[in-house]
Amino acid sequence: MTQPYSGVRVIEVGGTIAAAGATKTLSDFGADVIKVEPPAGGEVRRVPPFPDDVPHLDRGAYHLALDTGKRSLALELSSPSGVQVLLDVARGADLVVLQVPPAEAKPLLAALDMLEGDAPSTVTMTPHGLEGPLADHPEDDMSIFARTNRMLRHSYTGEEPLRYAPFVPTMQWASSTTAIAAATIWGSRRDGERRSVEVAATEALSGNVDSWYVPWAFTGVDLPRVAGARLGFPNGYFECSDGLLLFSAGTEPFFSRLCGVLGVPELATDPRFTDPLEKPNHFDEFMTHLGPYLAARTRHEAFADLQAHGVMCAPLLGVRDAMEDAQAVARGSFVEVEQAAGVGAQTIAGPPFRVRDDSGETWVARAAPTLGQHTAEVLGEAGYSAEEQLALFRAGVTA
Amino acid sequence: MSGRLLEGVRVVDLTEVWAGPMGASMLGDLGADVIKVESFPRPSSITRTTPPAPGGDDDPPWERIAIHHMANRNKRNLTLNIRMEEGAEALRKLIAEADVYIEAYSAGTVDRLGFGWEAVRELNPNLVMLSMPGWGAEGPYQGYVTLGSGLDSTVGHASLRGYPERPVEQTPPIFHTDATGAVALVQAIVTGLAQRDQTGAGCFIDMSQAEAFAWQLPGAFAEVTMNDRLPERLGNRDPQIVPHGAYRAAGGEAEDATAESPPPLQESAWVVIEARTDAEWRGVATAAGHPEWADLGHPWATVVGRLRARSEVDAAMAEFAASGTAEAIADAISAAGGIAAPVKHHSSFLTNAQFASRGWLQAVEHRYMGVQLMPGFLWQLEPDAPSVDIAAGLLGEYNADVLTELGYSAEEIGAFEESGVIGNAYPG
Repeated sequence: MTQPYSGVRVIEVGGTIAAAGATKTLSDFGADVIKVEPPAGGEVRRVPPFPDDVPHLDRGAYHLALDTGKRSLALELSSPSGVQVLLDVARGADLVVLQVPPAEAKPLLAALDMLEGDAPSTVTMTPHGLEGPLADHPEDDMSIFARTNRMLRHSYTGEEPLRYAPFVPTMQWASSTTAIAAATIWGSRRDGERRSVEVAATEALSGNVDSWYVPWAFTGVDLPRVAGARLGFPNGYFECSDGLLLFSAGTEPFFSRLCGVLGVPELATDPRFTDPLEKPNHFDEFMTHLGPYLAARTRHEAFADLQAHGVMCAPLLGVRDAMEDAQAVARGSFVEVEQAAGVGAQTIAGPPFRVRDDSGETWVARAAPTLGQHTAEVLGEAGYSAEEQLALFRAGVTA
Repeated sequence: MSGRLLEGVRVVDLTEVWAGPMGASMLGDLGADVIKVESFPRPSSITRTTPPAPGGDDDPPWERIAIHHMANRNKRNLTLNIRMEEGAEALRKLIAEADVYIEAYSAGTVDRLGFGWEAVRELNPNLVMLSMPGWGAEGPYQGYVTLGSGLDSTVGHASLRGYPERPVEQTPPIFHTDATGAVALVQAIVTGLAQRDQTGAGCFIDMSQAEAFAWQLPGAFAEVTMNDRLPERLGNRDPQIVPHGAYRAAGGEAEDATAESPPPLQESAWVVIEARTDAEWRGVATAAGHPEWADLGHPWATVVGRLRARSEVDAAMAEFAASGTAEAIADAISAAGGIAAPVKHHSSFLTNAQFASRGWLQAVEHRYMGVQLMPGFLWQLEPDAPSVDIAAGLLGEYNADVLTELGYSAEEIGAFEESGVIGNAYPG
């Protein structure tokens, strides 16, 4: 088995969901990720759910899913002794991924500079960046989301703006960080240059393609935020016999194809349906064709039939249905990982992409570490004697 | 390019719509030589087909489309009609000399055109090929077509968001998987290049944009697998954190922008307020003018006390939020150590002091759009900071350059133009 990041060493600092998410894919593709985490357990270990709702630092769902294959070093970074351990562990590594508040990040980054030729590249995750008027504002998943334009877009005009599912913005920030972390590792290995990267959450979210800023800036118009199916129909959710089907079929070539499936191909060239100003007035008539078709079919029956004719649609699935969906099952979109910490095998999402060549499995999710599971091992590798490790533990620096 | 991390990596980008073009632009930001092979004469889906920005009568409308400008920077634009043999041959030559080839058509499409993995690996055994159809290159949904909103539905996310008190069908469609797919593209390409370094040979990467998003929802899936129950739609509520919500502030946005020039800036009408800890709650309480709410003995001073008084705390937050603008409320809370933010419209990009201080917006000059302020990069990098070196590509802008590099003579290139293998304007 040859993995893409075999031989790469990454130090993750912070113990947060964002930091854990940022290094997970590197770990699963073979990097040695050393997770430097607070001895009290950071956010990623504390966020529910837990098996049977019993809180436990080693059993949380986020930790079990995002810390796969990593080694845990429980280290208090508030003293010179702790920072020195971090430096000794980070010496010669490819990358340090850091997510702590700017006021804590800046001295750690300055300390890493002391390693000079052995200093790793750094990727620093902050809500707003290390400097600037908002840099020190404390933020959370939802407040970061609010500061981008996404939360407002996720609402109807005049109604309460909504977040996505919990931690989705944070995880998108993490995914963005994984991308630049991977590029930094690869590029810096190639040219030998050390890099200093910042990923500000608001920038990572605002700079991606689902930002509606550019359409607004170019035209002065926003896509309307209104509920209801009449706009450019069929566009949105429609009822089948057992649930909802999402259509994105109001435009060509999809509308013609749909009219064909419904047995009314003439509607696709009928000015009542081709004139965008007229079309909304004829929604009810269109539904006399689409409604009975959908009522006679399950979501999956209609989905398969319509997709066979190239009509863009997708079933709305609950979380359990999503995991049991034919495509997810056939691809193995979810995998079981034999976890430590007495929770047996747990199901988590599989690879975000699959690298296929002749070298076998390139993505492997291994057990997430218990808190401090590898403290002694990592300190030993960094040259600390047994006596020195005792001293650090006794002083409350390690656990 | 200013970026050097991917300097010297040549990328052939066949993607359309949102996720693929955006991700390939990010490779360009990092210094890769990205050649956007643009469908011709069929216009690329969405980036060349949606309504354009206003412009001069003689300006081609397809050069003024917002999403093209958002998602196609830092690429060299080459038009090719690959349904003509000369076009297909040029693409084969391009792929033979490339490091990376990316496509996002529905599964099976490029195989039928002769550009599937089995064909291209023959042309170039060192090639890293990424296929990223919505639901992946393999599986029973092969050939199905979707946008990001469809993937959001089948992954289960659409069932988790939206207004808890409203019917599920009134959940606003979103395109988050496009953002996810774009950054996953970068991860996938770099991972493929790293694997090539390890093995000395190219590889095929099968990316389902649904799977590239699924791992962002570990909590939701674990509710099912750990505890055999379906996660609820929570709206802005958090089961363990009070307060945790969006509250209406005084003033602010009423309606969406309509066509006006210049578009109006919109104030925030809502503010989010959160307190995960007693310390953050002290910040909120102090900003609200009620520091006693955080004193031991007050029923709201503790995590559990606030949970038990959820509706009372919520009502107090609603009253506090209504007493000022979203900006003023959020600033007061942040300054006192609580968590709060105004819910921003994207017009705020232009007035955001933080973005300004970091020079985040990029002034980009384009032949038909003049100088536009565009969103900046997802990351800031030293010493080789990214820059927009090529604005959104004009149709066929680099035809001659790229084809010359491939060894075509000026006469051959002229013949291609004549016969419609390449072009820089859509017919008709």
